[in-house]
Amino acid sequence: MSKMKMADGSTILRRNRPGTKVKDFCRWPDEAFEEMDSTLAVQQYIQQLIRKDPANIDLILKMPDAQDEGVWKYEHLRQFCMELNGLAVRLQGECQPETCNQMTATEQWIFLCAAHKTPKECPAIDYTRHTLDGAACLLNSNKYFPSRVSIKESSVAKLGSVCRRVYRIFSHAYYHHRTIFDEFENETYLCRRFTHFVTKYNLMSKDNLIVPILEDENVPGESEA
Amino acid sequence: MQNESSECGEMEESLNHQNGSQMGGPQNNANNKQGEKNNPKPQYSIPGILHFIQHEWARFELERSQWEVDKAELQARIAFLQGERKGQENLKNDLVRRIKMLEYALKQERAKFHKLKYGVDLQQGDIKPPVLDDPALNVDSQLDSEAPYTSVSNASWRQGRQLLRQYLQEIGYTDRIIDVRSTRVRALLGLNNNAEQEENLNGGSVNCNESNKRASDTQDTNTGRRTPAKKPQPSVLAESMMLDTEAAVMANLDFLSNPDVDMEDEDDMSDEVDLETQDEIDDDVKSVKRKDDVDAEAMEVLNELNLLSESEDQRQDINKSESGDWNKPFQPTGQPGRRTTMGMNDDENIDAPLGLGLGELAQLTVNNEAESTYDMASSKESFRKAWNAKYTLRSHFDGVRSLAFHPTEPVLITASEDHTLKLWNLQKTVPAKKSASLDVEPLYTFRSHQGPVLCLAMSASGEQCFSGGLDGYIHCWNTPSCNIDPYDLFEPEVLEKKLEGHTDAVWGLAMHHNQTRELLLSCSADGTVRLWQPKTDVRMHDAETGKMLYSNECLNWYQSKADGIPSSVDFCRDDPTKMVAAFSSANCVIFDIETNKPVVVLEGESSAAPRLINRVVCHPTIPLTVTAHEDRHIRFWDNNTGKMVHSMVAHLDAVTSLAVDPNGLYLLSGSHDCSIRLWHMDNKTCVQEITAHRKKFDESILDVAFHPSRPYIASAGADGLAKVFV
Ligand SMILES: [Zn+2]
Ligand SMILES: [Zn+2]
Repeated sequence: MSKMKMADGSTILRRNRPGTKVKDFCRWPDEAFEEMDSTLAVQQYIQQLIRKDPANIDLILKMPDAQDEGVWKYEHLRQFCMELNGLAVRLQGECQPETCNQMTATEQWIFLCAAHKTPKECPAIDYTRHTLDGAACLLNSNKYFPSRVSIKESSVAKLGSVCRRVYRIFSHAYYHHRTIFDEFENETYLCRRFTHFVTKYNLMSKDNLIVPILEDENVPGESEA
Repeated sequence: MQNESSECGEMEESLNHQNGSQMGGPQNNANNKQGEKNNPKPQYSIPGILHFIQHEWARFELERSQWEVDKAELQARIAFLQGERKGQENLKNDLVRRIKMLEYALKQERAKFHKLKYGVDLQQGDIKPPVLDDPALNVDSQLDSEAPYTSVSNASWRQGRQLLRQYLQEIGYTDRIIDVRSTRVRALLGLNNNAEQEENLNGGSVNCNESNKRASDTQDTNTGRRTPAKKPQPSVLAESMMLDTEAAVMANLDFLSNPDVDMEDEDDMSDEVDLETQDEIDDDVKSVKRKDDVDAEAMEVLNELNLLSESEDQRQDINKSESGDWNKPFQPTGQPGRRTTMGMNDDENIDAPLGLGLGELAQLTVNNEAESTYDMASSKESFRKAWNAKYTLRSHFDGVRSLAFHPTEPVLITASEDHTLKLWNLQKTVPAKKSASLDVEPLYTFRSHQGPVLCLAMSASGEQCFSGGLDGYIHCWNTPSCNIDPYDLFEPEVLEKKLEGHTDAVWGLAMHHNQTRELLLSCSADGTVRLWQPKTDVRMHDAETGKMLYSNECLNWYQSKADGIPSSVDFCRDDPTKMVAAFSSANCVIFDIETNKPVVVLEGESSAAPRLINRVVCHPTIPLTVTAHEDRHIRFWDNNTGKMVHSMVAHLDAVTSLAVDPNGLYLLSGSHDCSIRLWHMDNKTCVQEITAHRKKFDESILDVAFHPSRPYIASAGADGLAKVFV
């Protein structure tokens, strides 16, 4: 309905037409969340906030009123997995099966890759790829997440394990490919946002958050609920 | 009556005349005698007078009986006409009722769609089932031969019908005349009077019903329209043979729409709607679940609706063995379905920024009908297949910008804004419950672009594919085996190399393969079109001598400063020494590849901005270029003269993508109006329309493709999905 109003002349079309330059990609006026009438409104809104200022984590994670929390968490996790592709691409250049033949962070744990029928000791780069591929499959599964407007409680419960697995990509990068990690983090604030996210929504236990990223600041309280 | 009276007059005249002559005999005689003898007394003989009177009486009696007969005939005729009028009136009422039902169902659909989309109930004051002023609705279902009609009939209607039949018999109307009449009525309704076709119609309706059952199984909030009513009526078919006018009409109507067959269903539906609102107030969780269900079915509902329109074509499938003139009857029968689809689009259209009115919409629909009728009649080979969504490719986290089929295998690759490309094998599906479409899981994820991947092209052998990204790179990939284990070990060799040269986003790629070499065209927001030879020599590649050999793949580059930034590019398929590029000036320029000089300019009128070209493709065999425009048009150009040969409003919103089938017979277009459309290349008529994707921001469908050798078409959407239709 909101767009009906705009139809009378001052039409804003939020499109990336072929030929758009990098600097103009997705560069359009913000749209208020209430105005977004698409079924993908939450994704649109999150991406809009990130594009505006990836460092403003509190704002990015601030859930709009009356928003379904399950969907909110789900869409954020989709966005994390998507952006983690960027880290994976960078790791592909440096994280070789020869040097990182196991998925480790600190020496404490070796992580088994859960993408296989029986969990397997995949090399770190394969663990990274398999975990992201598996997350893509799960989060797009018609069985568990048939809708992006509302999500069953039982499916929301699956988000935690996805978080735990993809977090290991951050931790491996941090402990083994620090340069890549820092470069990536400086651009995207992704690990920082992720840590805030899982803490805020209580999706991971603090013991597992081994990248020391929150030490210098106040960890936001867990969700009010 | 005038005729009759004048006839009577004539009769009287002739009577008088007769009288005159008869009476004249003696009179004349008398006059003569008078004249002769001057005797004033007439001479009457009693027997003569008696004879005359008797004669007269007999004649009048005869006349009277003739009039009686005439009168009876006329009365019968009046009665017949009255009966016919009554029948027509009932028919009219019934049609009105049906229209109301359809309207109501449409409103329900809209309300549901609205609710789904905006999460709130649509304020539609008048949304209530139409009241039937029809007390006798549930009268019967006793098994007379008309049982199938009972649901749509009523006592008074049947009375009228009986009456009419009686009159017809009395009057002695032959069956032939009835047939002629019923044909006329059918023609009026756009149907044809042919029993076999009737059968086919019903075949189609059965199909619809099956799909309907699916929908209702999944406890979608059912509208009556899609209720698997207890209809289709073999007996209707039988009966339709003994048709009288209304019977024929009714039988068809019965197929056309069953919305009101079950009034209880309508009631159920409104109940459910009520329930939903209450839920939302009372119980969050529950309402969430409900919404979920609705949403889960949303696409299915859309598909159902499509199916309705597609059943038209299915019927034609069934029918294709029939003689040549099967074309006509389907157009109108498919119409409700098509209308419905358009109705959904209408909703889309409301939020489509261009804000088309319903009028234009209706026009479009009408055009479709008219055109497809023409098209059916015109070409024999126009047997057309109805494409149905079969595979849903879900795994991308963001919009799918491009897709390309393998030249021979049932395999395709998609490129997405989520920075990845994915390889899919349509033969490796995951059975999805409660849905007709199959889910496919990707076999391989290509990661290398730093940012959204915007375009994609596959080599003629399928062994390589090329992707262009927002990062300005073109990546050359060695396509992994289509039987690869999705969780295999990483092989860095899959990425063969990057083609560097562009300094801004790469938006378009096109491949051409001839005997000696494989050429790749790319266009970029940096303003240039580049020609690459990604594989200079196959043997050199096999020699494993390393990547340095390919360092200078860029053969040539082109630009047209006056025309701005290229948005799309293609080889002139009929003459691959040339290529065509669309520019932001709305012109297309055909370049000679070798000399890199412009040869022809396809000049878009320099009028307005929104003529922007989103895609340009060339016909595979003739010098024809097709362009997809932001202003909803598709335009066709002669490559030799540079003149526009055809222009049409093709969609309700910007046309984003085009594909031509390998034989050059069909054109596929995708649009931000959420639909893809299939067109006849020769007469530019729309063969099929499918609603395929949802919107993200103001984008919906971003690419479409034909499989080069198998009957697949595909669409890629901003909603992160790709769909394959068979
Ligand atoms: Zn590593
Ligand atoms: Zn693995």
